[in-house]
Amino acid sequence: MTDLHFENVSITYRSSSDRGDVVAVEDVSLDLPAGATLGIAGESGSGKSTLIMSALRLLPKSARLDGRVLLGGQDIRELSFGQIRAVRWAQASIVFQGALHSLNPVREVGQQIIEALEHHSKGTWTTPQKRRDRMFELLAEVNLEASKSSAYPHELSGGQKQRIMIAMALACEPDIIIADEPTTALDVIVQKQILSGLARLVAERGISLLMISHDLAVLSAVCAKLAIMRHGRLVEYGPSDEVCLSPQEDYTKQLAGAFPQIGDPESRLNPRTLKPAEVVRAEPFTMTDEVVLEAKDLSVSFDTRRGRERAVRGVDLQLRKAEILAVVGQSGSGKTTLARSLLGLQEVEAGSQLSFAGKALPKKAKELRAFRQKVQMILQDPAGSLNPKRSVYEAVVEGLKVQGIKDREYERVIGALEAAELTPAEDYLESIPQELSGGQRQRVVIAGALALDPQVLIADEPVASLDASVRGEILSLFLALKKNFGMSALIITHDLGLAWNIADTVAVMKRGEIVEYGEVDRVLSDPQHEYTQELLAAVPRLGSQSLVRNE
Amino acid sequence: MSANTPAEAAPGPSSNEPNPRGSETRGSIPVVDGAKLVRERRLNNAKKNWALFRSDVPALIGAVVLLFFIVIAIAAPLIAPASMLDVTKQLDVPRYAPPSLDHPLGTDDLGRELWVRILWGARVSILVGVAATVMSMIIGTIMGLAAGHFTGLFGGIIMRIVDFFIVLPSLLLAIVLSSVLERGVFTIVVAIGLTSWASTARIVRSQTLSVESRLYIERARILGAGHSHILFRHLLPAVMPLVLANTTLTVGGAIIAESTLSFLGLGDTSKESWGTILKNSMDVSAATSGYWWYVLTPGVAILLVVLAFTMVGRAFEAIINPALRSR
Repeated sequence: MTDLHFENVSITYRSSSDRGDVVAVEDVSLDLPAGATLGIAGESGSGKSTLIMSALRLLPKSARLDGRVLLGGQDIRELSFGQIRAVRWAQASIVFQGALHSLNPVREVGQQIIEALEHHSKGTWTTPQKRRDRMFELLAEVNLEASKSSAYPHELSGGQKQRIMIAMALACEPDIIIADEPTTALDVIVQKQILSGLARLVAERGISLLMISHDLAVLSAVCAKLAIMRHGRLVEYGPSDEVCLSPQEDYTKQLAGAFPQIGDPESRLNPRTLKPAEVVRAEPFTMTDEVVLEAKDLSVSFDTRRGRERAVRGVDLQLRKAEILAVVGQSGSGKTTLARSLLGLQEVEAGSQLSFAGKALPKKAKELRAFRQKVQMILQDPAGSLNPKRSVYEAVVEGLKVQGIKDREYERVIGALEAAELTPAEDYLESIPQELSGGQRQRVVIAGALALDPQVLIADEPVASLDASVRGEILSLFLALKKNFGMSALIITHDLGLAWNIADTVAVMKRGEIVEYGEVDRVLSDPQHEYTQELLAAVPRLGSQSLVRNE
Repeated sequence: MSANTPAEAAPGPSSNEPNPRGSETRGSIPVVDGAKLVRERRLNNAKKNWALFRSDVPALIGAVVLLFFIVIAIAAPLIAPASMLDVTKQLDVPRYAPPSLDHPLGTDDLGRELWVRILWGARVSILVGVAATVMSMIIGTIMGLAAGHFTGLFGGIIMRIVDFFIVLPSLLLAIVLSSVLERGVFTIVVAIGLTSWASTARIVRSQTLSVESRLYIERARILGAGHSHILFRHLLPAVMPLVLANTTLTVGGAIIAESTLSFLGLGDTSKESWGTILKNSMDVSAATSGYWWYVLTPGVAILLVVLAFTMVGRAFEAIINPALRSR
């Protein structure tokens, strides 16, 4: 059995740019005894990925490592290239972030698992037949059918690809598995399957697990010990229970608080953040009975290889003035298609009725343009939604130009940026997207929509790609927009906590159908449909190893 | 999140106005012309790119060589009057004189100075090269953008047209065109321009397709944008740098194509061009008779200009695509 120790590790990236040397990790000491589980939590840029890459000497050449990384008592810096190759995969293996991009798209996944075995035959898997048997064994271990071995990556779902990655990591019976954000981009149900799979492996085979994530709840569900990192330094380190439930440091409290506890009245309609958006109206708007956007019997179909598939089936929805409606479901449940059809971006089947302010959705280009001034959408990824070559000013003014609004252009832009709480707005006008953080980009995108003075805002996973602390800020912004301007919002998410945080009503979608629809308090505290119950049960909760113990 | 960014370090929203969005109530915003801000930023970007270009030595050498040829092409009538090309006035000049102080680049079979012919030939060769390239770029960009942006039947038809021009042997088509149409410089430009746009269209189309799938195009649609906004505000600016870099690389090809056509005797025989000189040298078997300067001079001129365009083009490419810089 192998243990892993980080002793006073500092990692510096040498850089010839203006920024000079960048200290990514500073004086971190951690240890992972054989058979233990350790989670490292931190936001993007906290140095957590850099730290774990050093364990297998996978850092780029520009990185300098100070301190010692001991793997099985050996300093990894002293190993020769041949030795380090033997260590990689055979003693310690990595499940990389983003399984979607780590697999070779032109080879069958079974072959890709066998590849690792070929490099480290270890005297065990010496013949092709033995390697094939081992591959099927591995697929069974991660709960995949043997037939999947001949599938290409694009034929598998996100969760299945992630399981292939885990099977690859397990291939050579390593003592340590390092998992880098293994469940990011997966929805709660698949996340639960992956996490409990990992937890089972740890328990049954005595493998040690080092897992990093930005999500404290995910880590606490599996790991016995937790380390919190910020700006390359260790902030807090201790047993998972203590760190999550009685954090000592302010930063840990903030991280732990960022994740809503569904059912906790304190976070209901109150996303926790250090920088809440200001509610300026003396009497904030509340949900009314006036229906703004309505869909009746909405169905959408796509032509696919396997024939026509219905992505949305007979959905009835109503969005009232100053209402925040959360549409919750797993990936592939048709949420995004639903949102696109509400905007007229997606062709709907005959018989579907869509109306805005009592009138049917226009079909002609000119009328659609006028309609889109009133109903705006915010796309999933703020980084991709902005043209990288255009400044903040150009991005926000784009809608005005398209809609032919010419008067008081500058004032409208400043007004929209301030409403999106990107202040002082003047300082940002000249920035291009790459100079902004994720949260700031999302604010620019929101400002671009607000500049048109819309009545309805549709947001597709507005916080999925953002760090925990920014998540609260953006959510409180949505709440403030509703309270200050009476704006209606339809928010698409896989995150039930988000609904608990800001929504008035929630619609749960499964395979294109709405299975439960009602007020948040009622649906989330007393779910009627079994799918809603399943979703709720899959949400990881703070507190030690909840998933493991439930199994 | 990083606390060093101004917005997030700020304790909270600094605006004290009761209603930040209702801009009617706020008189404090100075009147600023937003378009001016945009122009200033673009100017700054151009300056930065110019600085990058200046730090690229091969590109500078290429630019100097190009400038030299362009200046001598424009100033040809001033440096060497047209009478120096008149065969009837060269009777006292020795024929096939090798390069010497009196005849810097040697003379040809009719006693004309080769340097004068190169000077005058530069006019046609560079003009045809640039004009044909501009033509091919314009057609290629329009077709590529259309093929990438419009889906369905229209896009399909355009792509088949592009495919047709790609599989057509371009030299053959150029030969047919220049023998069918009236002889002249313009015909050569059309012949080269019409045959070389297809590859540009392919490049532009693939870039258009990749930009088209970006979320910011979808965002523009959500904002209410139509085809013209997306085509001219997002797609064209995104493909323009690529087209520009491609232009400088294509000019070289067009100059060679012009020389080929002239060499085959399909050019305007009444006008000097580098290809014509090569053809004349071929007609008198200059290479086998030991008149090496007759062959080499136009050949080296073509080589220098094509190389110069390529070096400048590569520098443009590196400016657009920073990932190429370290290679």
